[in-house]
Amino acid sequence: MTTQPNPALPPRLLARLALARPVRAERRSRSQLPVDRIGALLLPLILPLSVLLLWQIATAREWLAPQILPSPLTVFWTFVDLVTSGDIVEGLAISLRRISVGFAIGAAFGLSLGIAMGRSAKLEQYVGPSLRAIAQVPSLGWLPFLMLIFGIGETLNYVIIAKACFVPITINTAAGIRNIPVHYVEVAHVLRLRRSAMLFRLILPGALPTIFSGIRLALGHAWIAMVVVEMLADTAGVGYMMTWGRTLFQIDIVIVGMVVIGAIGFLMDGGLRWIERRLRRWAPVHA
Amino acid sequence: MIRSLLLSLLTLFGGAGIAAAAEPAPGAIHFGAVGSGYGQQVGTQLIAIAHIKGFIQAEVGDAVKLDFNYFTGTGPAINEAIANGQLDFAQYGSLPSIILRATGVGTKIIASGGGTNIYGVVRTGLPINSIKELKGHSVTIQKATILHWSLLETLKANGLTERDITILDLKTADQLAALASGSADAEFGTASVLPLRDQGLVKVIYTSQRDDPRATGPSAFFVTDAFAAKYPETTQHVVNGFIKAAQWVAQPENREEALQIWAKSGVSYASLKEEYANEQLHDRLDPRLDDFFRGQYADGIDFAKQQKLTRKDVDLSQWVDPSYEAKALATLGLQNYWPNRDVNGAVVSN
Repeated sequence: MTTQPNPALPPRLLARLALARPVRAERRSRSQLPVDRIGALLLPLILPLSVLLLWQIATAREWLAPQILPSPLTVFWTFVDLVTSGDIVEGLAISLRRISVGFAIGAAFGLSLGIAMGRSAKLEQYVGPSLRAIAQVPSLGWLPFLMLIFGIGETLNYVIIAKACFVPITINTAAGIRNIPVHYVEVAHVLRLRRSAMLFRLILPGALPTIFSGIRLALGHAWIAMVVVEMLADTAGVGYMMTWGRTLFQIDIVIVGMVVIGAIGFLMDGGLRWIERRLRRWAPVHA
Repeated sequence: MIRSLLLSLLTLFGGAGIAAAAEPAPGAIHFGAVGSGYGQQVGTQLIAIAHIKGFIQAEVGDAVKLDFNYFTGTGPAINEAIANGQLDFAQYGSLPSIILRATGVGTKIIASGGGTNIYGVVRTGLPINSIKELKGHSVTIQKATILHWSLLETLKANGLTERDITILDLKTADQLAALASGSADAEFGTASVLPLRDQGLVKVIYTSQRDDPRATGPSAFFVTDAFAAKYPETTQHVVNGFIKAAQWVAQPENREEALQIWAKSGVSYASLKEEYANEQLHDRLDPRLDDFFRGQYADGIDFAKQQKLTRKDVDLSQWVDPSYEAKALATLGLQNYWPNRDVNGAVVSN
């Protein structure tokens, strides 16, 4: 799919073109010199590699007892052990299922309510303040209460994850829609677009960047909330594996858990950014 | 008996040798034990008596500052504090201490801490009245603790294995939520479960002390190798104070005061009274490292290995150091104050 700007475009596509501009800027940056690109790829690795080096030095010189800070190699072999024994795969499968289900529920509700609130000032007036008040209570603040209602297990996780996603998605979606430049909306009104066309051709594409930062924020919150729930009040998942490692005073297991959780969070965020780029490239053409 | 007498003589002479080169007193000594988290800074064990009644302070002198820490994070938190050098002495349950020992952190067992009664409770309304009937039900415990060990010992004694039940590994506060919401049918816990029974939430179907004394959760008193190497005399003074506390508790006229001290921890007086009902504190809080204690600890070590809680083997004979206690008993003339028990807890001599 190409996004060649066409100078003969009719005025009704002006709005979409405005949205297409960031995409073209991004394309240009992709045609930089290969050396620059390699440099750009290496740059983010400097910090983690330095930490790894410092960690190695710290364990080699025993700045901390090996029981407290195991060496990177010990942690690596523990990781291999946990993978081959299936422990980590099993834990991750459970955690990933939880985040998928919880996120799907939270996002579905969040997007629906967010769109409705963005479109209707009245609904925003009714619901907005309560929602922002709820947002002030951390998802985990609900834990002791929800535990008594849902018990320990999947439902509790789904509810906490869905709640963690729901609030930021709703608020960002509503804000994204409200912040669409008024003149775009005016153009759409002049053109007498149908409601569905308004929604899918102007509002959603226009609000996409804000909605997506809400979704990314939500997934980050949800992932953290899930890990903490697993650590505090669960008997399965990658968070539980870390608590178990702490109980057994095998800190290498805890570190493996930290790395895996960080890596998955990073990949999920990267995945969402990729999807967002695809959507933004696609939106102006097909909208 | 002869062996322990010889040992005490040996340490007497050995101790005299060390005493010649007077050791500098430590500025402060740090103690750790399990706390309940909602009362004052005090626990429900022998070390709390030694703390509140000042037995250790009297032994080491007023110049040394004693710092008592009662950890609500229980065993794992105490393990961490020992490993990063925050504690010199600790009294806590066998399983976490075995886990720490297996990682190579240097500690010595210098006295027994006595047993903790373990209660098996079931949600009221469920038709379960014995351990055998737990088959097919979910039981919540905190794994890798004496509760875990005690549950599996009891199952074994009743012809069941852990595969016959579902174990929900939760911390004490969350176990209540699991029971209340129906996620768990039963719980194995310490006296902290008794208030739940008083509220009508659960009924007690098992107590280790009544049904299987061997499954009563053992605990021990530890010194770190680093502290004992640097301050052998002070270590001896601390053990003397600990044994004096055990002797004080053992006297029936002090029972009431001991319960009052422990009740400051936030564990209710009624629960404590029941914990030790129909029993002499003299018997339950026996500080000696006799065959019964060693048998329980050896079981704990086997258990930890079977359950893959430890990666390296723990050699009990290298871990227990009875010399301080033998010397303390000899100094205080208490060699025969507590009877010797065999591995099953039966008294074999006086």
